[in-house]
Amino acid sequence: MVKKRSRKRLIDRQEFWGFLFICPWLIGFLIFTVGPMLSSLVLSLYKYDLANSKFVGLENYRRLLTQDPLFWKSLKNTALYALLTVPLGVLGSLAIAILLNQPIKGVRLYRTLFYLPSMVPAVASALVWQWVFNADSGILNQGLGFLGLPNIEWLQNEKYTLFAFVLMSLWGIGGQRMIIFLAGLQGIPESYYEAARLDGAGTWTQFRHITLPCLSPVMFFNLVLGLVGAFQVFTSAYIMTSGGPNNASLFYSLYIFRNAFEYFKLGKASAMAWILFAILLTFTLIQFAMSKRWVHYEGEAK
Amino acid sequence: MAWGNPEQLALEEQLCEQFNRDNPDVHVKFLKVPGSAYANKSVVMLASDTAPDVLRVDHYNFANLQKKDFFLDMSELAKKDPTWNEDDFFPQTIEECKVNNRLFGLNVLFGGTVIYYNKTMFAKEGVEDPYKMWTEGRWTYKSFVDSAKKITKKDSQNRFIQFGVALPIFPTWTPFVYGFGGVLLNESHTKSMLADPKAVAGLQFVADLRYKHGCAPTPAQAANSAFTFEGGKLGMSIDWMGMTPRYRKAVKDFEWDVVPLPVGPVSGSTIVKGNQLVIPKHTKHPEAAWRFARFITSPETEQQLYVTNRRCFPTRKAVANSPEFLESTLPPTQIRIFLSAVKGGKQLPIDERWAEWTTTMNNELDALWSGRETDAKVVAEHAALAINKVLAEEPGW
Repeated sequence: MVKKRSRKRLIDRQEFWGFLFICPWLIGFLIFTVGPMLSSLVLSLYKYDLANSKFVGLENYRRLLTQDPLFWKSLKNTALYALLTVPLGVLGSLAIAILLNQPIKGVRLYRTLFYLPSMVPAVASALVWQWVFNADSGILNQGLGFLGLPNIEWLQNEKYTLFAFVLMSLWGIGGQRMIIFLAGLQGIPESYYEAARLDGAGTWTQFRHITLPCLSPVMFFNLVLGLVGAFQVFTSAYIMTSGGPNNASLFYSLYIFRNAFEYFKLGKASAMAWILFAILLTFTLIQFAMSKRWVHYEGEAK
Repeated sequence: MAWGNPEQLALEEQLCEQFNRDNPDVHVKFLKVPGSAYANKSVVMLASDTAPDVLRVDHYNFANLQKKDFFLDMSELAKKDPTWNEDDFFPQTIEECKVNNRLFGLNVLFGGTVIYYNKTMFAKEGVEDPYKMWTEGRWTYKSFVDSAKKITKKDSQNRFIQFGVALPIFPTWTPFVYGFGGVLLNESHTKSMLADPKAVAGLQFVADLRYKHGCAPTPAQAANSAFTFEGGKLGMSIDWMGMTPRYRKAVKDFEWDVVPLPVGPVSGSTIVKGNQLVIPKHTKHPEAAWRFARFITSPETEQQLYVTNRRCFPTRKAVANSPEFLESTLPPTQIRIFLSAVKGGKQLPIDERWAEWTTTMNNELDALWSGRETDAKVVAEHAALAINKVLAEEPGW
């Protein structure tokens, strides 16, 4: 058997066709993603400003970790942002997906409406949110005023800026993540619920013991991507506050951008990118390790 | 290669066509790049030897790029050119282009800061005309603040409807530091001088406009362009001369004009800055590039750019002093004050690390401009420490 298969011609082999079909993507990935990644790894060992380069070993990393307060500040801002937005975003998306999975009239219209915000270009929505957060006449402060609460200088006071961005991130909960949850919800066979109902399970029990376990792979996927996305937050801060006030919204990617394209410290910026890569890899591995305890795959013996 | 607003670019495109007509042996292709991507794109092009033969760079980036040895030293080309005469130009415009007494660029779009003021608003609120005060030598920091305070108004619900002046953003507040005799950096650019009492006095003066006299909007009040000059909600705006074409186009329902910055306790100075036309070091056509750069800075072109279209300010004394330049039927009518502003104009300490230390400085000064701290001394001392730390580091880390 084995001998016979290996004599098969190349074009008769499934793997050949598989690779052939994905090769446009594969070539692009190698040239435009893996290539630059490797070159940035090399760059991170150099002091490089486009005109002069000097090999410095791990000095870029050492300086970042020991001498750059802004590195730590941007990391702290980003971590806090991720800590708040990822759980809120995942729960919010799940909640909306469940609502939009109800068999009610006009549900397609609602789905479209909730998805709309994520169709808006990031720059445009940043500009809109700038108005929402306007301290004097923004809709948010008007709402607060209506409740008898004082005005908040969302984007001008460093105490609130980060929370303003967290709030703004919730604007995206009806987007892609919600669609994935919705697909996950629709993939759960109705017969499971029927069986549970026959056994006398209430709504909560059904949700807890059927919906959640069946959704756990989707949830896991959304968590991983959510974390990666949160650590790369850039556009909103770049446009709305350019990192201010007093670096309160200096996110990690923004600081990389500044070092690379404003100060032209390309070695340092590359080193920062690799530190971010290491951080994200670590978190993702942790999530994978933990996922064994709570993610349930269909057809997997437990 | 250039960036700018549509009017600016259309004009430059027209100039390129004219040059092509007059110089059949050379063909110039005009490359437009959006302002937001310009700095990055020019650096990458210069570094990879793919830059156009002549490009315009903002003076903010000039020092940095020159230091990287990207620009052609034009000194020899200038020496060979019989029509080149440095004395034709305002000295600051030449100085900006020189490094170690070698010429690396030709100045264009030169200009300084002035105060644009809403004449109609001044008249309506019964505030004396600043230009009149200036001609009579009474345009001081005190009369500036007094005017701004008188212009500031609230409606019946106690909401501000107009402010005397917008708080200048960096670098347009620098004249006030200079006005008190302060400077931003020391001579050798190794230390910040912000904590010096004279600089502190300047910063305090600017912050007080907002938090003591209440005649300028806070960042929150000014957010989303709530108070703009062209919107008719500001009595005065401190800005570059280059704003003129925009105001001419945008302002329809009030009269406006310009006045120099008020005279401070030590001096009455403004800041000046231009852009530079540079030639990449490895260009294959240095002579043709020089010819084109000279054309863009020729008296005829300057006449077109700055007299007919009022783009900023001429670099040539002859053009600036010509009656055609000084007479204006459109606002601003007091073009003469541009001339006086440029003559006394000081430069900013722009060096290769400008982007870095000014970002640090602006972050620190946020505390003052946002009113979290009202004592300029505290903020300035803090800022000076942070800037010194940046400057003490070996460049490039």
